[in-house]
Amino acid sequence: MSPDFILGAATTVKWGDMLFYLILFIVLLALLKHYAWGPVNEMMEKRAAKIANDIDSAEDARQKAEDLAKQRQEALKESHVEASQIIERAKKNGEQQKNVIVDNAHSEAQSIKETAKQDITRERQDALEGVKNDVAELSLEIASKVISKNLQLDNQKALIDSYIEGLGKQNEVK
Amino acid sequence: MNEGAYVQEIFGIPFNISNDLPGLLTAIIVFFTMFWLSRRIQLKPTGRQNVLEWIIDFTNGIIKSTMPNKEGSQFGLLIFTLFSFIFVSNQLGLMLQVNVNNIDYIRSPTADAMTTMVLAFMVLLLAHFLGVKKFGFKGYFKNTYLSPIPFLLPLSVLEEFTNFLTLALRLYGNIYSGEVLLKLIYEFGRSFGIASFIPAIPLELVWQGFSVFIGSIQAYVFVTLTMVYISQKIEKE
Repeated sequence: MSPDFILGAATTVKWGDMLFYLILFIVLLALLKHYAWGPVNEMMEKRAAKIANDIDSAEDARQKAEDLAKQRQEALKESHVEASQIIERAKKNGEQQKNVIVDNAHSEAQSIKETAKQDITRERQDALEGVKNDVAELSLEIASKVISKNLQLDNQKALIDSYIEGLGKQNEVK
Repeated sequence: MNEGAYVQEIFGIPFNISNDLPGLLTAIIVFFTMFWLSRRIQLKPTGRQNVLEWIIDFTNGIIKSTMPNKEGSQFGLLIFTLFSFIFVSNQLGLMLQVNVNNIDYIRSPTADAMTTMVLAFMVLLLAHFLGVKKFGFKGYFKNTYLSPIPFLLPLSVLEEFTNFLTLALRLYGNIYSGEVLLKLIYEFGRSFGIASFIPAIPLELVWQGFSVFIGSIQAYVFVTLTMVYISQKIEKE
């Protein structure tokens, strides 16, 4: 039971302990690595990576938001300018259009007046012409009627003469 | 230091069972604690995972204080295991001591010089190995023994042994003395019956509390010095 003097010395070195503790420690190391250290460390690294990622993406998002705000500001300013430009242009256009319309109206009125005048004179001419013809026809008819009825009556010869004379006079007056 | 030891020979190798059994128990406690703490690992830590991550952060902090660059991260597992093992070892004997027929079965594994020497030997061997691996044998020799000045070579060689001995014996001495005093107070409490038992209780309590403190400090010191020795070997001075 007491192999204390196994090496012949007063105190022996229990060098089996050395092996035992070495193996024990290495086995413990391996077990901890597999069951505790490995997964936890992996998770911690993953978390560190995620946090770094999140910080980066947050920075990105902030930058993007800032850019967007700047763009919006610029767009707003531009739209103000554009709006005033549009109003300006619209005013100018309106002015121009007004002028054109008024001018057009003027010239149209002028031309209508012109044609109306021409028409009137032509109508009158036509009417005069027609009247002249009618008078001639009428007078011819009258003359033929008078002649056919009263030609034989010599006493009325003087009347016919006076008529004809009158017609000639009328023509002369014209 | 081996009084009342139960030595068993297996394949002609002498095993000190009263040293190995508490070591096994410590390893089992450490493993199952960490196993229990590391269930249901999530990206957003809760409860037990926080505790485990706090411990890991603590040991990683020890590494960072001696090796701030990226190189130190490979020692995370070693330092984590070493720290938790020594810490539990130191506290085990304060809470549980089994002694049958004057033979110890459960006590602090680190209250035996053999245990601490194995641990110290292991980490120093690792340090030297890493030094050779990084610089080659020539560079390692120059870096370890011939710098800053070559004529300090004998001192440098001696220092390697004293490093080993101080690292091992500091831990052993602190824990062993703590347990000796615990046992002494226990003996005192038994010696005069009820008259000494009652004053022995607060005495034991106070010393236990102090030993918890010492055990934690010593675990911290051990792993810190381990990192210092490793960094000495793998960093050019």
